[in-house]
Amino acid sequence: MAEAFMAYPELRHPFKETPIHPVGSTTVLYQGRTITLAETRGGDNLLIKPEDLGRINGFELKPEGACYADMCVPLNDELLVTLKGEQWFDLTAFAELLEQPYVVDREAGVWSFAEIPAKRQNMMVDAMAPEFEVTDRKGKVIRMTDLKGKKALLVTWSSW
Amino acid sequence: MWQQVYEEINDPNFVLICVAQDTGGEAAAGPIFDAANPTYIQVVDENHIISSAFNFVNVPSSVWIDEEGRIVRIDEGTYSKTHAIGEGEQAITFGNDVYTPALKDWVARGADSEFVQSAATVTGNIREHSFDQLKADAAFRLANLFRAHGQKEKTEVYWEMAKALNPDSINFIRQNLTLSEEGSAGETFMQVMGEYVAQGREYYRPLDIEQK
Repeated sequence: MAEAFMAYPELRHPFKETPIHPVGSTTVLYQGRTITLAETRGGDNLLIKPEDLGRINGFELKPEGACYADMCVPLNDELLVTLKGEQWFDLTAFAELLEQPYVVDREAGVWSFAEIPAKRQNMMVDAMAPEFEVTDRKGKVIRMTDLKGKKALLVTWSSW
Repeated sequence: MWQQVYEEINDPNFVLICVAQDTGGEAAAGPIFDAANPTYIQVVDENHIISSAFNFVNVPSSVWIDEEGRIVRIDEGTYSKTHAIGEGEQAITFGNDVYTPALKDWVARGADSEFVQSAATVTGNIREHSFDQLKADAAFRLANLFRAHGQKEKTEVYWEMAKALNPDSINFIRQNLTLSEEGSAGETFMQVMGEYVAQGREYYRPLDIEQK
């Protein structure tokens, strides 16, 4: 018998109401990640602390801009905003610049960001598999880059 | 099933990853995985990340990725063999017996396999993922977060938004029906499928392997 793994026991009771985050926090969804931010600013826009950018979408702030792999987006006053002497990164302005869709539920304080199209362009150009990150039932993170050097078959299915 | 195919291939340079597109999570998909006694990599993908990554709209769908990370086949209704539900004249059969031999040929012969497709063919076979379809994925993930936290009304709002933004996604339609009494294969599903096909839309791209 294979060992049975119970990765998400809490989901056996999907309709038990639980808080999404502590009062006053904001939640950002991107790919499979759920990131809770204690401090944000902005009205219509979502301003985050610059140091939170990396754990949201993997972009790093460098002198040449916000960078991911070999892509760099130059920073300007709309992306890097100063409020009362503090710097904030405008995640929604960044999304608009990159044509990255998002959906927000302001009441709940949750922002869900879609894939960044520029990260996936190679798939449409030369059939290179896009980067992805999922966790298997043993808790191991599987990334596209981990599959290099092997042939892989990915099959989706569902219980429904 | 896939476990048998995986054992038959038995090649250390071949990885099989089966990914359940199940917002119900481990509770919904786990027992089905366990029943297969699998040794391949098993993923329960609540947010349908893999469908988003490869622009799939239905299950089962699959992708072959070579050693360099290049896609060499994509988006086919993928079955390990012909399956039958029921018996005799009432039996419903689905699947085929040509996909597994094609897969084995690719694992054995790599780029020399006749089943490997060119980059141009593959990119032609990848479904379009428009701004609205990407946005649908974001709405779907938001709905799933609310579902996990027991907020049924918001779950419905954002699942409906996802379906409206990407009406091609059978995954969204059926996942949403799992909340209903009749489930994902009841009358509503049959009606939706009938309308889908009547509009000339394909919910599986035809399998591009000759059936013998």
